[in-house]
Amino acid sequence: MELQAVYVQILALILFVIGLLTAISRRNVFFVLMGVELALNAVNLSLIGFSKTLPGDLSVAGQIVPLFTIAVAAAEACVGLAMVILIFRNQESVDSDNYSGMKG
Amino acid sequence: MLALIYFIILAVIAVGGALCVLFARHPLYGALSLVVSMLSLAGIYGLLGSPFVGVVQVMVYAGAIMMLLTFVIMVLNGARDSRTPRFDKVSLFVFPAVIVLGGLLGVALVSTPFAFDAGTLRGSVALTSATLFDTEASGHGYFILFEAVGLLLLSAMVAAVLMAKRRLGTTDETEGGEN
Repeated sequence: MELQAVYVQILALILFVIGLLTAISRRNVFFVLMGVELALNAVNLSLIGFSKTLPGDLSVAGQIVPLFTIAVAAAEACVGLAMVILIFRNQESVDSDNYSGMKG
Repeated sequence: MLALIYFIILAVIAVGGALCVLFARHPLYGALSLVVSMLSLAGIYGLLGSPFVGVVQVMVYAGAIMMLLTFVIMVLNGARDSRTPRFDKVSLFVFPAVIVLGGLLGVALVSTPFAFDAGTLRGSVALTSATLFDTEASGHGYFILFEAVGLLLLSAMVAAVLMAKRRLGTTDETEGGEN
């Protein structure tokens, strides 16, 4: 009984599903951001796991792309939290259902 | 065998932390359990033979991003919002839909044959840096991407400072209006 490649993908799938559920169904806007981060983490894990199944030089891309994903996630969290601060100053609420001010 | 035991322990911790994120009431508890989940994911990266990504995960994700999130939650005092319900009625449809989607993907994964290729060493620091910065060997693609990520981070920082500025400097109201 050794560590199989499928186990890593199943773990990444479970984490992605939980992150997607958090991002879609939670009402607090901080949990929406945390769900997005969790789903990004799951995709990183999936890329690393798949890159170990490829032979040789083909597999280096699967090790490089997660680094760029992490950098883009850092930029996304920075801008997203600034937007949350900006909205919170106008609305005094973190419930994302109250952010429907652009509805016509 | 030992790798499987380590993997199962780390996977249980990661999924438990993710479930705590999904069901936590206070955003601060959610953020701390997300940190636990990310740390165990870093352990899994090390177990899979890519320690550099694991270290970057610990430094950037569990260090920087979650520190920023926790700081903003504390500043905005999200505990005031604990009266609103966690889920609403739409979640009754969202939960089965996403779980069925995950089940379909799981069936597709299990029925596809693939296995680890244990022959080559990958993910070490030397190989990663050689791929990123040795443009004669691996072409200019990754290096240009690296520079673009630097520009992206700089522009994100400037945008965040500009958007959150009115809270910091309350006196320069006329200066903030030109943006």
